[in-house]
Amino acid sequence: MAEQAWPLQDHTVLLDDQAAAATKYFNEKKYAEAEALALKILDLAPNQRMALRVLYEVRKAQNQVPAALALARRLAALPGGAPQRAAAHAQLAHYLVGLGRHAEALPAAAAALKATPRDATAQHVMGVVLTETGDFLAGERHYRQALARLGREDGLVLANLAWNLKQQGRLAEAKTLYDQALALRGDNPRGIGGAAQVAFARGERARAEALLDDALRRWPEDRPLRLLRALADLAQDRAQAVLDRLSPVERLIAPEFLARGQAQDRLGQLREAVTSFATARRIQRERAGLTYQPAPLTARAAAYQSYFTADRVQPLPRAAAGPFTPVFLLGFARAGTGLLEQLLAQVPGFAVGDAAGSFEGLADAVPRLAASEHPYPEALDDLLVGDNQQLPEQLRQMYEEQRARLGLLRPYIRFITDRAVGNAWHLGLINLLYPEAPIIHVLRHPYDLMLANIAQDRKLEGNAHAGLPALAHYYGLHAEMIRHYRGQLTLRYLPVRYEDLVADPAAVLAEILAFIGGTAPVPAAEILRANAGPLPEPQPAHFIFREPVHTRAAGRYRAYLAAMPQLFAEVQAELAPWIERLGYTVEEARA
Amino acid sequence: MSDAQAAGKQVVPLAVALEKLSRLEQENKLAEADDLANRMLEAMPKHPHILHLAGIIAYRNGRIAQAVERMETAQALAPDVALYPRNMCEVYRGAGQLDDALRAGRRAVELAPNEARAHFNLALIHYERLELDEAVRVAERAIELDPEFAEAHFEKAEAQLLAGRMKDGWESYEWRFRLKQAEGMLPKTDKPQWDGAPLPPGRLLIIGDQGFGDCIQFSRLIPWVASLCPQPVLACSGELTPILRQIPGVGRMVTRWEDTGDYDVYIPLSGLPRLAGIDTDNVPPAGYLTPDPALVEQWGARLNRLLPEGKKRIGLVWAGRPTHKNDKKRTLKLAQFAPLFARDDVVIVTVQKGEQIAQVGDYYAHAPLINLGPEIGDFLDTMAILKNIDHLVTIDTSVVHLAGAIGVSASLVLPYAPDWRWLLGREDSPWYPSVRLYRQDKPYDWSGVIERVAAAL
Repeated sequence: MAEQAWPLQDHTVLLDDQAAAATKYFNEKKYAEAEALALKILDLAPNQRMALRVLYEVRKAQNQVPAALALARRLAALPGGAPQRAAAHAQLAHYLVGLGRHAEALPAAAAALKATPRDATAQHVMGVVLTETGDFLAGERHYRQALARLGREDGLVLANLAWNLKQQGRLAEAKTLYDQALALRGDNPRGIGGAAQVAFARGERARAEALLDDALRRWPEDRPLRLLRALADLAQDRAQAVLDRLSPVERLIAPEFLARGQAQDRLGQLREAVTSFATARRIQRERAGLTYQPAPLTARAAAYQSYFTADRVQPLPRAAAGPFTPVFLLGFARAGTGLLEQLLAQVPGFAVGDAAGSFEGLADAVPRLAASEHPYPEALDDLLVGDNQQLPEQLRQMYEEQRARLGLLRPYIRFITDRAVGNAWHLGLINLLYPEAPIIHVLRHPYDLMLANIAQDRKLEGNAHAGLPALAHYYGLHAEMIRHYRGQLTLRYLPVRYEDLVADPAAVLAEILAFIGGTAPVPAAEILRANAGPLPEPQPAHFIFREPVHTRAAGRYRAYLAAMPQLFAEVQAELAPWIERLGYTVEEARA
Repeated sequence: MSDAQAAGKQVVPLAVALEKLSRLEQENKLAEADDLANRMLEAMPKHPHILHLAGIIAYRNGRIAQAVERMETAQALAPDVALYPRNMCEVYRGAGQLDDALRAGRRAVELAPNEARAHFNLALIHYERLELDEAVRVAERAIELDPEFAEAHFEKAEAQLLAGRMKDGWESYEWRFRLKQAEGMLPKTDKPQWDGAPLPPGRLLIIGDQGFGDCIQFSRLIPWVASLCPQPVLACSGELTPILRQIPGVGRMVTRWEDTGDYDVYIPLSGLPRLAGIDTDNVPPAGYLTPDPALVEQWGARLNRLLPEGKKRIGLVWAGRPTHKNDKKRTLKLAQFAPLFARDDVVIVTVQKGEQIAQVGDYYAHAPLINLGPEIGDFLDTMAILKNIDHLVTIDTSVVHLAGAIGVSASLVLPYAPDWRWLLGREDSPWYPSVRLYRQDKPYDWSGVIERVAAAL
């Protein structure tokens, strides 16, 4: 049937010689001739595979992303034998991976894999896509299958597998794999960068810097390596060295401007820092088309708030208690949930789950498991019917299996933290699966959150990192979601403040332990402040940034306001109600 | 052709427009009324009656400052119209301006000394100011002018009962069923009310009239009734049946008029204190309700898991049913309990139900707080929870009656002029010995009240 949709396909072979000539032009770097000939062929036969491929390569080389992507998609949609289809899908997936659009690459990578399941490259690409979209365990499986299909050690696959393990916090295994990978293939600057990050996370900071310095001697123009080296300086308070490395400013890209801005912040050059942050975001908007996309977020918020009301949720079945108590660490990006998790990791009986738990995935599974005609959350109504009443139990077990696979269910563990970013959306489902789990909400002054997020090279939902107004709007959505759930559900909820946490970590931990019924002693204040105690693996990726607890970022907005009184003018209206509700104030700016 | 007609507008005589405006307000079509009032004011900004009606509509729409401004302008333009100060009296009361309300009420009486409603409105203000003798006297003057004026009789009853003049109060209180809002509280029947005489078993119908709190409060008298008329049939709302079933002597319970079966006489629960001759010194003791032990254990276990150890568990109710006539006076915002939340040694367990639980979303104070309202199914749950806390802090709503009836320690915060049952000038209640009363020092002003509650915990 599919063949009938492409009646020209059989005739396109008549143009193969011409297409081969176009390919030859391209290989000889005669791009204009290659392009002209390919276009001529495609005028006659729009689906001529080789000509499409040539034009795709030309557009890719010209960095015409939308055109190249459209061509790659056309190629992937062409019929043909399994190897041809697999190659086209793999090509599309590769291109999207190269653009950093990993989630979009998933269907193409999956199609390539399904067409040629024995192909090591298809397994490898799948590993890359899954790892970069946060599904580390599945990514690891595909990398290992790629190695098995290859039947030999491969430096690139091993390095990528090492990066995956590093993301899982399995640092010792990652180090071993990086050593093997780089011995096999030393000309891998990304691999060396990953190895340096593992060394840094393991506390071998001098070794990490040596690895990066050696690599930079070999590839002095390698910008990701240079940025990593600058970030190593930043982590060790060598702010001036960061500025020296990341110059001249005329040639910098967005992540480099952000690193410069952070260094300038440390040096007290606040106006310059703001200029760097703003420049980075402008570059992202203008060159990469970064724009805030709030519509899906606001639609989701409206749907969840409409469903999760006290009267509607109360009759739904709940799961019984499981073998451990999850402790949900809630907070806006950069609020301090990472720091809190690092500190809790030092309390006996705690295991750290970071963002690996996936209530997002569980919510997605509800309509299917409940055989509901409705999407989530309306599908939850089906939990009232028949065997579906057992579904919360089943979902809870699915969540526990995720934790077990990460090796977190150790015998002496009572509490496992979960700081997944999507938890603010899913307090309703959390309440059904864990009605008595503690929810610790880390609050932080909204202006400080704006500063922390605008300075960091981290993606947020809906591209909310695109600028201050986007951040403020997203903050309001996030805060309103939590506010709604608190008003409609019985939650075991405790708010703590970042400002208190950094001022007196022991006191805040004692408060949390008293709230959740933890009986272990709070580590001594100086141990908590050092935030460097040995910890069992796996360790979450953010543990790489462990540093002594400091107060310099609490109330940082004051100095910025003193230097630039109008800095928050465009977000003031959005944030003022939250500042008041949360019990914060905007303190007088003092120059 | 006039300008208005030329512009294609419909020209309506003023009297017709005013009549329509008044009708829309009375029919509760407030948005439409608002729109018409604004258009009329635009055309005739200095017309006193438009201003007055527009003021009433603004008041009904919750814009009290605008209401006062419009109505004061109307009165200044037409100082001798009695209707204006009469209505302003009520608007000032709503605005919490009792001195202005009193002045307006007196002016209305002065302008229309034979108008019963003017006297009635003034009586209401005296009640709010706790000038109870004056309230009774003025209400009696309204009754003289209109002996069938049920609201005036009821106002008189409330003032008498609040003043502790129970015998007189109960008599006037009988007028409550002739109030407009009492419609449907009693069955449509030609059977007489019970006079207190003994009857054979099952021949008396008791009706759980009034609010939940009243029913809980007066149900203590059912055993006395049953001693005279065994196995009375009790008609009440479904929410009350699980708890009133516990009262000794109750016969069949029904929740629909058509299920009452045959009976000889009926009596509302709120009519029992009069028949029983209840005064402040002979109230039957509390302890007549008992939480279900299984539920107490179940909620106890749940609270043990939810709440941190070593802190006093303080139950909290801060808002009443918004449709209650005095809800504005009795209801607070959750945030107004801040002095309570500042204590180090407490954990707050909210037993609030209804839409106001959403305020928990804005709670970020010091004491941990658990929003239990969403999981409370009925009064049995509430009683079981109350048994598992150390103390209840509440406004005047049904939960305080439950706490009092089962003997749980409670602090009740009351408006300056409270409901009659809480009497005057005392910190205790003859109805509920476990409840301590905290009264406003000034009308509509909660300052200092919660501080006193928090300090006494």
